[in-house]
Amino acid sequence: MSVVTSPSQRRFTVRDARELVLRYAVIIALAGVFAFFSLATSTFLTSANLASILVNNFTLLAIVAIAMTFAVSAGGIDLSVGTAVDFASFSFVSLVLTGYPVGLAAIAAIGSGALVGLINALLIAGAGITPFLATLGTLFIGRSAQQLLTNGGNPVYLPQTGVPPLFSFIGHGHVLGIPVPLVIVGLLILAASTLLFRTRFGRVVLAIGVQQSVARYSGLRVPGHIGLVYVISGIIAALAGIILTSTVSVYIPNSGGAFMLNAIGATFIGTTLSRESRPNVPGTVLGVLLLSIVANGLLLTGLSFYWQQVGTGLLIFIVLAASFLNRRGRSD
Amino acid sequence: MSADIDTLLPYETGGDIRRRIAGSLAGFALRGGSLLAFAALLVFFSVAAPFFFTLGNIGNVLGQSAILGVLAIGLTIVIIGGGANVVKGGIDLSLAANLGLSAAVYATIISAGYGDAVAVAGALATGALIGAINAAAVVVFGIVPLLATLAVMNVVAGLELVLTQNTVVSASSDLLSFLSAYGPFDIPVLAYVLTGFTAIAAAIVQFTPLGLRLYAVGAFPEAARAAGLPVKRIVAGSYIASGLCGGLAGILSVSYLSGSTTGAGEMLLPVVVTALLSVVFSRRLVPTIGGTLLSTLLVGFLTNGFQLLNISSTLVSGIQGVLILLVVAATSLQRGKGAV
Repeated sequence: MSVVTSPSQRRFTVRDARELVLRYAVIIALAGVFAFFSLATSTFLTSANLASILVNNFTLLAIVAIAMTFAVSAGGIDLSVGTAVDFASFSFVSLVLTGYPVGLAAIAAIGSGALVGLINALLIAGAGITPFLATLGTLFIGRSAQQLLTNGGNPVYLPQTGVPPLFSFIGHGHVLGIPVPLVIVGLLILAASTLLFRTRFGRVVLAIGVQQSVARYSGLRVPGHIGLVYVISGIIAALAGIILTSTVSVYIPNSGGAFMLNAIGATFIGTTLSRESRPNVPGTVLGVLLLSIVANGLLLTGLSFYWQQVGTGLLIFIVLAASFLNRRGRSD
Repeated sequence: MSADIDTLLPYETGGDIRRRIAGSLAGFALRGGSLLAFAALLVFFSVAAPFFFTLGNIGNVLGQSAILGVLAIGLTIVIIGGGANVVKGGIDLSLAANLGLSAAVYATIISAGYGDAVAVAGALATGALIGAINAAAVVVFGIVPLLATLAVMNVVAGLELVLTQNTVVSASSDLLSFLSAYGPFDIPVLAYVLTGFTAIAAAIVQFTPLGLRLYAVGAFPEAARAAGLPVKRIVAGSYIASGLCGGLAGILSVSYLSGSTTGAGEMLLPVVVTALLSVVFSRRLVPTIGGTLLSTLLVGFLTNGFQLLNISSTLVSGIQGVLILLVVAATSLQRGKGAV
């Protein structure tokens, strides 16, 4: 922390400028890539493409990343978010296929996400296993379970015709001209920010995340809250599973794992936005937006699809380096 | 982020004595039990599948485990040097991607008409460079290893795709055919490579002053710094060593598959699990090179035994998952007894 003199007398120094740049690294990066792709390609800055970024690149990752934000806020991590996505997707497809109403199938899907979360909760809050290892274990067991359920990993397709209208409405419908997945994400962002930053539950979770032992000595019910966090994470990830399935009409075993690493990346990119380097919902959303824009923009520049991954990795690296340099600078 | 060391301990639930008994039971079960369980597993498979306990089969398992083993040993070195806390401590998520890129570099150089020497140098340099970037990210920029190596993993996996266009680059050379052949006693050369590599790594990590410093830096960085150890240089070195292991594993993988592979990323979680399981095979529950070899072989024998018994190999990852949870639950009970 810099020594506080009278703020009005302090002049804006190079050091302040550096801190400002590093602090707002996400926003600067976001503006930078936006400007770059707008100039570099003629197709990026069109309303059709911007809408496609939001629907195709942004939605699912945003949901999973918000689930991850909960776990990271509580000082943990959830490597099994993809497992919750998969199990929700599997229950949703199977139940709709057997003829259950879509609403009921969706509830069951959310239930199976919650179940994955509950297993994590028992392992972490009950057995005292570190979140990284507990959720890694869940991830592995979930992988086997899915292969057993699908005879070694066969996808489960829904027929093109005869699917209940509500099913395709979730993936392809519009409310007031806005795609349904985007509406769900919007509501989720509001709900998650409220829950984490405007309720007693959220304050306790954040306190646990900052310093678990202090939270415990202050008499907060640490295991209960931590357990609930992982259940919530599973439920949120299940939403992504439902939207994914109704968009593509197929469940592919173990496909949800693809979100996990990017969700971690987005969550930690998001921490750069907070003064205390803590995870926060707006930061996570900006992080997801950054990753989505880069993925989409690199594709439009006509570079090989494979450069996307390099670009995304480099960007995460630069933002993280900026953020950690900043932290280090302040703690010196 | 702020998963502090507390998270290793079980929560206060009351019933101290009960926990102490559970702790010592868990400790006993872990120390003697893991080896016993391993032995029991071998006996079970030998009885159930007559072909299991033959020199040929054991050699094959060793050979098939070589790639996983070399990677897991690399990760073990990083974990020793970075401390066991998984989020804040040492971890190298880029290892599997490193294997993929190094293999691609090796295969590409060979198919471009250069000799083995150039290709080996290229693959090892690729691995070492990836390790050096990780080291810089962790030591210079101060990025948490989990995130730093995650970002590097993305870049490396992407570069591999760019280099190979997501195809298998096939390669054949004298070195490759030597590595994929059978050595004395009809045992695959890769089995000898794994044994030899483990012996060298164990000698350095377990029996030299450098190895002792590595443990010191990982367990008590502050104390190590106060004692005058070059903490940053040792941590950086552990990432470079792990990168080199990635490069070596890349070469082995080209010989095993007669070309580069497009699915290297799949190796990541098995490698992490194998290195973490290493802990159960040591008396003080710390990661060791020998322990990593044992846990590599445990996974190898499980897979092999299941194949011989015609049990679906999809169960293997589930069993690995259960193993991690058992081990870690027992470890945290055991640590709870000591209450650091």
